Amino acid sequence: MEAWGVALIKVVFIWAWTLIIATLMTWVERRGSAMIQDRLGPNVCGPFGILQPLADGIKLFTKEDIVPEKAKKILFALGPIMFALPAFSAYAVIPFGDKIVIGGKEIILQVADVNIGFLYIMAIGAMSVYGIVVGGWGSNNKFSILGGLRSTAQLISYEVPFGLALLSVVIIYGTFSLREIVLHQQGTFLGFLPNWGIFKQPLGFILFIVTAYCEANRVPFDLPEAESEIVAGYHTEYGSMRLGLYLFGEYVNMYTLSALMVTLYFGGWHIPYIDMSKFLGPVAYGIASFLVFFLKTCFFLWLFVWVRWTVPRFRYDQVMSLGWKSLIPLALLNLFITAFLVQLTI
Amino acid sequence: MGKPEVKRDYTLGERLYLVEIVKGLGITWKHFMKNFRASLQKGPHTVPTCWQYPWDKREISPIFRGEHMLLLDEEGREKCVACGMCQRVCPAKCITIKRGKVKEGEEAKYAGKTYCASFEIDLLRCIFCGLCEEACNKGAIVLGQGYELADFSRQACVADKKRLIGNFLRAKEEGRLKPKRPPVPVAGAKDAKAAGPQKAKSAGGGQGKGLKRGV
Repeated sequence: MEAWGVALIKVVFIWAWTLIIATLMTWVERRGSAMIQDRLGPNVCGPFGILQPLADGIKLFTKEDIVPEKAKKILFALGPIMFALPAFSAYAVIPFGDKIVIGGKEIILQVADVNIGFLYIMAIGAMSVYGIVVGGWGSNNKFSILGGLRSTAQLISYEVPFGLALLSVVIIYGTFSLREIVLHQQGTFLGFLPNWGIFKQPLGFILFIVTAYCEANRVPFDLPEAESEIVAGYHTEYGSMRLGLYLFGEYVNMYTLSALMVTLYFGGWHIPYIDMSKFLGPVAYGIASFLVFFLKTCFFLWLFVWVRWTVPRFRYDQVMSLGWKSLIPLALLNLFITAFLVQLTI
Repeated sequence: MGKPEVKRDYTLGERLYLVEIVKGLGITWKHFMKNFRASLQKGPHTVPTCWQYPWDKREISPIFRGEHMLLLDEEGREKCVACGMCQRVCPAKCITIKRGKVKEGEEAKYAGKTYCASFEIDLLRCIFCGLCEEACNKGAIVLGQGYELADFSRQACVADKKRLIGNFLRAKEEGRLKPKRPPVPVAGAKDAKAAGPQKAKSAGGGQGKGLKRGV
């Protein structure tokens, strides 16, 4: 067991870090989308407009907090909290670096190395849908409730392949602990490939990334908030910082899922063919592993933005048929093949 | 609604959908890099499709109908004789004129025998149709090119005579006055008909519109 002080510092650090990344992502999203669409985006606040999230935050905080008269007050207030809290807490089990040695003490760069980190992520990830459903129901608005219902229906069609894709990873590594999964990914695979999950689970990765976009409610699966169909979906009636929490939770979700992709399929903090711990000091290694992990995560964060401005939204029935007719059979097939191969090699 | 009609069957790559998404990502990446490089350059108007308004103003047509001006003639006399035609024709009823008689000794200031003691245009009501300009016998009121008319109070949006003449002086200084319009040909008059189109050609592209309306 680690000292409480160290754990607290890690919690505060990763919380603040997630907040900063999520705020910056709003700016990246706006400028990135602008560049893709031959525009410029917010470029006035600060250098390259990087202070725009700050201005947005001030705006959201100072706006009038309007609660619709016929909304269910308790549920209406609960919705954003139930959405944002799981998003923040999911990051607790993700190893954001290897370990750092300060003053003879070895500190693992992970808030909690629980041996069921995997199940924790899945449980918490599914929790955030409650925030959408509760908010949509509590708003007492037809568009909001449609958004909430869509979110539920979407959940049951993607959560099964999501779980099955993750299960194949568990079969390969034989552990639920995310840190141990990353440790298993060191070295090379078949002699020349980096020993990353994507080379062992190519189909699993494709399934995972598709369902992750569903989980984060991002285009092409942003049915719960489809602007062109149901105004703004579950957050139609929300304003001020309540809306801010919803938008913020979405970016935090994206960050967690990107980190999960890196952890499971892209070797966490490992650089292919190079073992950093051999020629870097203990402190430098800790920082380097953190940065490598962060850079890999950044790529997937950018992929979220990039895909959003490339692909149009799936229709409602298309998501259903994709989930039930394609993803679940494929995930089952993947699971069987993985189990078979693992059985052969043991 | 429904599936789009395609004559051939979808190939396997198209049905997989992922390949097409990767192709699409390539297209968006090209756009992104082009605009990203452009945005790093200095100066306004780096992205060709994007006008960065306050710093980078778009060129407007010489016959643009913006904020009005009250014209002075070559000797610096006010052209307006306060006949009230613009006031009558204005569909938004935004012009208010008070007429004054030119006293002896003031002939250097005013072109006609009467002048406008006050000339107010409520820019909040004005629809910038340009009828006042057409109605004016003396060519005294002309719609200029100013279009940044926002202000903090309603009172500030009522343009008085001083502001309208100021508009003219500024436009003259910057060479933004409208090119002279060819005289509107009167239907039936032979020589006017023959002269009209030729003059219009020499005056330039923007003038065709005004001419057509006259015919």
